[in-house]
Amino acid sequence: MPYVAPVAVPLPALVTDAPDAEADLVRRAQQRDTTAFAALYRAHVRRVHAVCLRMTANASQAEELTQRAFLTAWEKLPLFRGDSAFATWLHRVAVNTVLADLRAEQRRLRRIFATDNPAALETPPPAPPVGIRLDLDQAIAGLPPQARAVFVLHDVEGWQHDEIAAQLGIAAGTSKAQLHRARQLLQEALR
Amino acid sequence: MNCSDYSSALHDYLDGELPAPEVVQLEAHLAGCAACRATFDSLRALRAATAALPREIPPARDLWPELEERLEAKRPGFRLLGGMAQTAGLNSSRSIFHRLIPLAAAAGIALLLLLAERHAGSTPPRGGWEVAALDGMPRIGARDVRGTAELHVGQWLETDATSRAKVSVASIGEVNVEPNSRLRLVGTSATEHRVELARGSMRALIWAPPRLFFVDTPSATAIDLGCAYALNVDDHGDGELRVTSGYVALEHDGREAIIPKDFMCLTRAGAGPGTPFAVGAPADLRAALARFDFGRAQPAALTRVLALARAEDVVTLWHLLARTTGNDRAAVFDTLVKLSAPPAGVTRSGILAGDAAMRARWAAELGLTMVGLR
Repeated sequence: MPYVAPVAVPLPALVTDAPDAEADLVRRAQQRDTTAFAALYRAHVRRVHAVCLRMTANASQAEELTQRAFLTAWEKLPLFRGDSAFATWLHRVAVNTVLADLRAEQRRLRRIFATDNPAALETPPPAPPVGIRLDLDQAIAGLPPQARAVFVLHDVEGWQHDEIAAQLGIAAGTSKAQLHRARQLLQEALR
Repeated sequence: MNCSDYSSALHDYLDGELPAPEVVQLEAHLAGCAACRATFDSLRALRAATAALPREIPPARDLWPELEERLEAKRPGFRLLGGMAQTAGLNSSRSIFHRLIPLAAAAGIALLLLLAERHAGSTPPRGGWEVAALDGMPRIGARDVRGTAELHVGQWLETDATSRAKVSVASIGEVNVEPNSRLRLVGTSATEHRVELARGSMRALIWAPPRLFFVDTPSATAIDLGCAYALNVDDHGDGELRVTSGYVALEHDGREAIIPKDFMCLTRAGAGPGTPFAVGAPADLRAALARFDFGRAQPAALTRVLALARAEDVVTLWHLLARTTGNDRAAVFDTLVKLSAPPAGVTRSGILAGDAAMRARWAAELGLTMVGLR
């Protein structure tokens, strides 16, 4: 039977089951009510932290970026018009926060090593001992940073290559090549 | 063309992005090339595993207190202090250090005042919890609630068929009490806020750290783990809990269930919490689970549950590991591993022997990480 690719889902189901309660919290947070913002934080921190952790593969960096994402959300919340679900908007803020950090890191590498291709300097973490089976999240963490970012955005978060390319400042073809590379490395790691 | 020429096409095919003429060519190649078929099957397996990754991972520590301080630092009062530093013409780092000491002291005092105010806000209000009538005329004891009133420790809040009320849970959350409900404030302190829902329905939204808010019902105690949920208790004391955000634990007489977002759990007077199941679980699976949890023909019910279990039911099966023994537990394990591979270090023999650390590790794999499972 021919293979039928599943329909791409842009973002996982992010709409809360209690939209009225959440809309009320968002309104209150827009009026600078930190108690309401605390409730929004509690409801969404796990999802925001998940994407920060997967894209950075670094627990302390993920915690910092999670906080920064919520700080940005707090600052920009008055501009949130409710055109999308709050969770979707917040998720986008979180991804953009991580990507900005990734771009800054690449600029830093360019300055230090005077290269236009910082990806060439990426060294994956050491392989686990022979006989230890990796789980998928561990294997993703072991990918080189740019391949990891593309893989997480495309295969986990459901982004398209042109969106990823625009956000990472690379060509769409490069995004695709990085994705293929990431999948190949994961296949090898999980074999 | 040889196999390496198809390498990139396999990915495009997987993503549904391969042009139609090339699809025909690739499918013809796949039909005759076992190596490329194996590669493609491996890619499909990777995609399936990726789709099954948990979408939520809690941080290892509570980030809110630190974040809250950073939010406070962005408030206008703090910007004013920053502005003072700028307008004072402080240029050299040495002079900045020395001349900022009084400013830092002022900022410290301001921070202490803010924290003191916040701390006071997090303690239970001296007069009781605020209750606001949302519809009709709820009652506290014998008094009607018109507008707002206070609920004190030991008092009952009652709604009839036409009334609803909103209760502010100290400064940590809100509870909506639906019609035909009875709710009593059992106790409120900095370390525990507890109510009793004798009958009826409530919806809770709690933003405190886990294990601060408790709801006693006749058949179980619901323990907030940072979440939003709905809880119903009927006239027999049987209950139903549905979690819409985060996690809730249900406990009764040593029996525990952890219910994540989009899962439900039934409770029965005298039996405690049943096994959690996905909100979208098919009716026949729910029925078999109820027979297993609260009925008599448990072996047959378990067989039926295992036969009906889907990938979405791994949390259910994980709970069943602790609720079975011997061959039944082995059957649960064998079904569970087909739906979700255990993490490294979790073995069949360990799980069958009741190894708590292995169960906890598997729970983490399933996203049940922050819950202090037993």
